[in-house]
Amino acid sequence: MKHPVFGNRTRFFVWWLVWLFIGLGQALLYYFAYGSIVNLTIVDAILSLLLYSGIALSLWYPFSFFNKTSEKLVNVITNLIITGAISVAFWFFITKLVLKLIMPEQVNLNEYWIATTPYRIGTGVFIYCLLILTYYLFVSLSNLSEKMAREARLESLVKETELKMLRSQINPHFLFNSLNSISSLTITDPDKARLMVIKLSDFMRYALSRKDEQPVTLQSEFDNIRLYLDIERVRFGDRLSIEETMDSLCMEVKIPVMILQPLYENAVKHGVYESTGKVTISTSVISTNEYCEITITNNYDPEAISAKGTGTGLSNVSRRLELSYGNKAMLKTEKQNGIFTSKLFIPGTPQVNSQKDEKNKDSNNRR
Amino acid sequence: MKKIRTVIIEDEAPAREILKHYLKDFEELEIIAECADGFSGLKTISFSKPDLVFLDIQMPRLTGFELIEVMTEKPAIIFTTAYDQFAIKAFELNAVDYLLKPFPKERLHNAVKKVIEKIGKSKDEEKSASSIIEKFPKSASTLNRIVVRKGNAINLIPVERLKYVEAQDDYVMIYHAEGKALKQQTMKFYEENLPDKDFVRIHRSYIVSVQEINRIEPYGKDNHVAVLKSGEKLPVSRSGYKHLKEELNF
Repeated sequence: MKHPVFGNRTRFFVWWLVWLFIGLGQALLYYFAYGSIVNLTIVDAILSLLLYSGIALSLWYPFSFFNKTSEKLVNVITNLIITGAISVAFWFFITKLVLKLIMPEQVNLNEYWIATTPYRIGTGVFIYCLLILTYYLFVSLSNLSEKMAREARLESLVKETELKMLRSQINPHFLFNSLNSISSLTITDPDKARLMVIKLSDFMRYALSRKDEQPVTLQSEFDNIRLYLDIERVRFGDRLSIEETMDSLCMEVKIPVMILQPLYENAVKHGVYESTGKVTISTSVISTNEYCEITITNNYDPEAISAKGTGTGLSNVSRRLELSYGNKAMLKTEKQNGIFTSKLFIPGTPQVNSQKDEKNKDSNNRR
Repeated sequence: MKKIRTVIIEDEAPAREILKHYLKDFEELEIIAECADGFSGLKTISFSKPDLVFLDIQMPRLTGFELIEVMTEKPAIIFTTAYDQFAIKAFELNAVDYLLKPFPKERLHNAVKKVIEKIGKSKDEEKSASSIIEKFPKSASTLNRIVVRKGNAINLIPVERLKYVEAQDDYVMIYHAEGKALKQQTMKFYEENLPDKDFVRIHRSYIVSVQEINRIEPYGKDNHVAVLKSGEKLPVSRSGYKHLKEELNF
């Protein structure tokens, strides 16, 4: 950490101002302690405070060292007391020495010195305590501001990431093509158009309302996926068909919201977009002892040299799984014989999760 | 009056429907075919030589851009696309028009009017569609396949199979695992659009796949040649040698 006085011009100025006041105080005090030797008390005050100020400035270094290294309060206090005793003693003797050197003809110096000794020691200890308190204040204040800055930085980072996630989750191609389909349906089949507007709205609401990483049930995630696939089916007609087998035991298991969406977007992108034939996207959910196993498969045109994705979809999913479950959940993908498979292992049997569900229901309803 | 023969190439049925519906108002237009993917679109264009093509960009097998690259006919093109931030600027410069889906009827009418005016004028004023392709980077991502035409066949070469590209006047010769193909494009295009980490421009006339390089040998005083795995030798210029050094860290 930087030195609190040297680091800043205003502080440097204030530092000396404070010493000036202390010096005045000391001069007055000694004047009353010994009597009428104005000359000597003023010289003594200036000299001793000048010396103490120098000692105080250098005391910062042992102080910040103690502060950093020893964790125990007892140790810190002992160190501070020892340092204080040494500093005050050092100050006491060096002041006497210098005073003798610059005022050799002063006759009653010794008497003066003895009379002021208790005050001198008292002042030394008092200033030392004041100094330590000031340094402590400085350290905690600068720690606080550092912490606040760090927190602000973190917050903006989180927001930025969230925004990016959101943007990547709602594929603009999907959105605008869906709107175009709706525009078309208003002429050929207005009822269907209305239905599709509702589906698209529900889908968007689900995607946009996601303010945090609050987990949702597998059930609601799949409800949303069905909306998505329904919309895509309007666009692609016969080219896309859907199959699903769901184990109802898994439906209450909690997963991060919108975590399945990128997997289905991939299936549509590499399956339907790139192929002229029919593509089937099938989903199966199986519960085992440890996991809910979600398998998503789609066939693709092996001859199509597909536009390679950037891989951000899949790596986003893996990353989010890692953040939510550590290494307990995983995503596996494989490409074989014209079939692309994504397998998702979500930890948690229904029994384990059911208790948590009860707790979370309240907060979910409120949202 | 002779009608404007029009083809719609678009992979989504609802999108075709609305386009047809809007186009009913134009008696000058005659829709002669509808295609649901790039390959059949290309076939239809070369077979029936339309005057006007409505072309989607994202389609299975062959994208709208790739179709234009290999098309020998030069019909007027109106792109219809849902979202393509990079294409938009380029189209403003060159295509007859581009329509962002969903588009209002009036917007389409403007586009079609432009085409009617244009076809009414003399042919030589017509901008060829192929000139569009040079002006813009194909998409946000780098190139991952190259379309070439051999006689009537269309080949899609994935860039992983590309060995090297050689400049030949206004053309480039593309050497790939299955042979070679000539294409009317610039070296600059390939330098900018091939994935940086896999391809290095070693010479004014050569861009080579890093994977294909077997070794680099000194040649003459301070020149080098790259020896490919297939045994071919390609000259390496001084600046090319520098590029190689940076890329391969030697």
